[in-house]
Amino acid sequence: MLSFDFDYFRPETLNEAIDLFQFLDQQGKQPMFFSGGTELITLGRINLAYTEAVIDIKDIAECKIMQVSGDQVLLGSTLSLTKIEEANLFPLLTKTASEVADHTARGKITLGGNICARIFYREAVLPFLLADSQVLLIGPNGKKIVPINEIFQGQLGLEKGEFLVQVATENRFIRAPFFSVKRRQQWDTGYPLITIVALKVNQQIRVGISGLCPFPFRSKEVEGALNNIGQSAEARVAGAIAVLPQPILDDVEGSAEYRLFVLRNLFFDLLAALDRVQV
Amino acid sequence: MEVIGKSVIRKEAVDKVTGRANFTHDFHTLPMLSGKMVISPYGHAKIVSIDTMEAWQVPGVRTILAGDRFPLTGEAIRDRPPLAVDKVRYHGEPVALVVADTPVQAKKAADLIKVKYELLQVVNSPTQAFQKGAPLVHERLGEYKKEEDSLPVPGTNIATHIKIRKGNMEKGWADSVAVVEASLSFAPSDHVAMETRCATAEIMPDGNIIIMTSSQAPFMVKRLLSDYFGIDLGKIIVHTPLVGGAYGGKAPVQLEVLAYLASKAVGGKPVKIFNTREEDIITSPCHIGLDATVKLGVNRDGKIQAAEIRYLWDGGAYSDKAIDVTRSGAVDCTGPYNIENVSCDSYCMYTNHPYASPFRGFSHAELSFAIERTMDLLAQKINMDPLVLRYINAIMPGNTTPTRVLLNKSNVGNLRKCIEKVRELIHWDEGSVKEVSDRLIRVKGVSCSWKTSTIDIDAPSGVILTFNRDGTINLMSGVVEIGTGTKTILAQILAERLKMDVDNIHVKMEVDTQTTPEHWKTVASRGTFMAGRAVLKAAEDVLDQLKEVASCVLRAPKEDLEVAGSRVFLRDDPSIGLHFKDIGHGYKYPNGNSIGGQIIGRGSYILRHLTHLNPETGAGKPGPEWTVAAYGVEIEFDRRDYTYRLVKACTVVDIGKVMNEKAALGQVMGAMSMGLAFAGRETFYFDELGRVLNPQLRTYRPLRYGENPEYLVGFVETPQLDGPYGARGVGEHGLMGMPGALGNALSIAAGVSLNNLPLIPELIWKAKEAAK
Repeated sequence: MLSFDFDYFRPETLNEAIDLFQFLDQQGKQPMFFSGGTELITLGRINLAYTEAVIDIKDIAECKIMQVSGDQVLLGSTLSLTKIEEANLFPLLTKTASEVADHTARGKITLGGNICARIFYREAVLPFLLADSQVLLIGPNGKKIVPINEIFQGQLGLEKGEFLVQVATENRFIRAPFFSVKRRQQWDTGYPLITIVALKVNQQIRVGISGLCPFPFRSKEVEGALNNIGQSAEARVAGAIAVLPQPILDDVEGSAEYRLFVLRNLFFDLLAALDRVQV
Repeated sequence: MEVIGKSVIRKEAVDKVTGRANFTHDFHTLPMLSGKMVISPYGHAKIVSIDTMEAWQVPGVRTILAGDRFPLTGEAIRDRPPLAVDKVRYHGEPVALVVADTPVQAKKAADLIKVKYELLQVVNSPTQAFQKGAPLVHERLGEYKKEEDSLPVPGTNIATHIKIRKGNMEKGWADSVAVVEASLSFAPSDHVAMETRCATAEIMPDGNIIIMTSSQAPFMVKRLLSDYFGIDLGKIIVHTPLVGGAYGGKAPVQLEVLAYLASKAVGGKPVKIFNTREEDIITSPCHIGLDATVKLGVNRDGKIQAAEIRYLWDGGAYSDKAIDVTRSGAVDCTGPYNIENVSCDSYCMYTNHPYASPFRGFSHAELSFAIERTMDLLAQKINMDPLVLRYINAIMPGNTTPTRVLLNKSNVGNLRKCIEKVRELIHWDEGSVKEVSDRLIRVKGVSCSWKTSTIDIDAPSGVILTFNRDGTINLMSGVVEIGTGTKTILAQILAERLKMDVDNIHVKMEVDTQTTPEHWKTVASRGTFMAGRAVLKAAEDVLDQLKEVASCVLRAPKEDLEVAGSRVFLRDDPSIGLHFKDIGHGYKYPNGNSIGGQIIGRGSYILRHLTHLNPETGAGKPGPEWTVAAYGVEIEFDRRDYTYRLVKACTVVDIGKVMNEKAALGQVMGAMSMGLAFAGRETFYFDELGRVLNPQLRTYRPLRYGENPEYLVGFVETPQLDGPYGARGVGEHGLMGMPGALGNALSIAAGVSLNNLPLIPELIWKAKEAAK
């Protein structure tokens, strides 16, 4: 139950959505772009989210796109995670997204919603970080296409009134060998203790991690250490652990020390899985 | 037998699977006001001020209760203000209550209430609570009204202390060649019933108080409201529709009191209070935690000579039902083993945690973890097969319990048979450890349990039977249908006794304390036993009345009459007889003369020969019978990561008599699932302020479908001679051995003793690191 009232808008075009946001913002309505609605509902009921106007972008054609176009795959931000899993256009994304929340929730949670989520795991972004994907954003100043690695620093650097429309990923990354494991506190339910995804591109391993820090990340330093081919696996893993971003999470899912124990073993698994793979 | 033992489909099944079954929150009368609690964000804090000014400005607000001194409540000790005054003692404690026209208005107003707190030192575990000089949770413990057998120690955090002294400890230790001692512990957790608790109250102009509540104890709601507020018992009418899971968590009386106070404050208008999931987890009573130390001594033959046990139960901020749990944990403190020399101190400790209630198994899953882990340590120490150690010490007729009840072939099940059956089902003889790969191993662990139900010595159960004009029968019992299918089993018992089709018996699902005969509480796996006995008695009553009328009409003595297939007929010529429909409402002769009248059957049962416990030695008869069970759990363990998968879980329980096979299987498997979740994942995580850090299903996670192992269930049938058709309770037993068996399997697998719950991989990693 949400104890606040809000107006609900369902624009059909990108421009309409942008204009609405500016208009509602000027009225002090604290507008919010919205699609699956899971965060507004679950955080709103415990007073951690508030808005007086919701702009539902589900009906906007550009946001629903799911196609292979030339040498790239286009995925719209309002596609539900289950839709993405079923179509399976990007196997690494399928595998990673299919571990988010549970099947019922994934029927509502959208790609854009997960990438822009307030809850900081945002695991669906990891495959795109590794694949150097491009994001299409729209805002008061119009559309822009930006490399995701430029604009995603723990979270998507959206300006006020901007939202994510699509993500484009080149085929050569889509077909690359990958590794994706989600390790939880216990068994198969719950937030990640560590989610680790990896791609092997041009003999180089790329790694993205969620659950280790209060933000998901891809780290060039970690990749550098892991790709240090001349060294032993132990040395490469130790090198990667030494250059992790900070802080390491220490919460009810697991202590910081234990997370590092888990991560270390996952690094070994990752190397075992991808190191000998020839591309 | 025709009906007993058959998998009769539950009487409420169709309503449930079509979504039409109604639970308390589904009933709406208009206008129904909404109550919303403001709860404490801290474990222990002084209430400096409560500002309700802004909240009053919200449209629709009818009243705000805050800071009032209402009579203290609580079952065993009256230690709990319905709304906190002066200080809060746990995270989640109700501090204020808003009553408004709609739930949204009530929530809006509740969110605007500003409470200023001053933090107090937190008592964050029962062990800390037990230490000298620990901060006191209750400064005025000596002044509270209490039940006679609650034994609080003023000036400490001890809410009660139960002592068991049996045999001669010195002799026991002298006769022992090996001794093990272990400390075990786990924090409180939750029941996670699907239906969160809900209660409504309305006070009619004539003074009648109408309560509807999702409770396991509607008759206790009536008694306690009467006690607390001095209301005539007959003026309190409690309705309980179907209850969506309870597991002991709905035995305490809490929201009913708040709903009553709320209704009273708004001139008797109906008010509903419906827990959010978060409130259900922390505000309403939770699953008790425990710090235990167990010391066992064994002779050369592997026979246990002595047991010294200390249980510090985490009763939380208020003692309520935790005192009963503490007592129950004492009476069966040793687990199902024959031990001549026993010394046990079972303490109910006050802490600044959410207060505790019973949890499926009523202290036995908890104490079993402590005992069964120690049993495995003992087996390891004397190098004996852990299943053999349990077998040779298994309690049997002729032995006495810790409270010195002499067991016989009826009042205890056959544990050795259960152990043998587990041995077969889990292929124990193939060995307990099997290598799968360089990292993976499959490991089996075993455990046992027993349980008697320490319910009130004068606990009653009653049944009324009435006839419909088509000859079908209505069955009314005070048992609440909490999802166990007990009411269907009562219909089976009646059908069996009257030799009739169970489909011709209609069961009243709702309990209404004004018209339904009392069943003490739907707890402790006592529904089938007590209400079943009452049904049998009511059946006799009905048989007698049916025969009385038929004897007159058929001009035959009662002794010559048989009853079957909804007819009363002559034994030697069944063609001469009468259908129930012709006599259930009196018999009408062709000329219009009528005799008999409506037949109403009544039956009641009260447990016999139960006694209070001796306060110094614990001697006494706490319960009617002991159900025993043996368990096995098989896991696949990763020796590098310390992760594991549940492969198989097995329970063999001596159920006395299988009344409804599928229902019994469902009960046992469901209980195993809960037990594995409790053992493997469920716990509250507290911070230094006593706050529960995971009061949501996002972070508090019961077992999800797919995480479950393959379930193996076996039954042994040693009849309890005074149970209906020999049946024993079975609702809880599947759960009780799971923590011990899982802990044993993992301890073997990891090569390190795991003495805490939940058994998450991080716990195993920590134990391994500590052992390095």
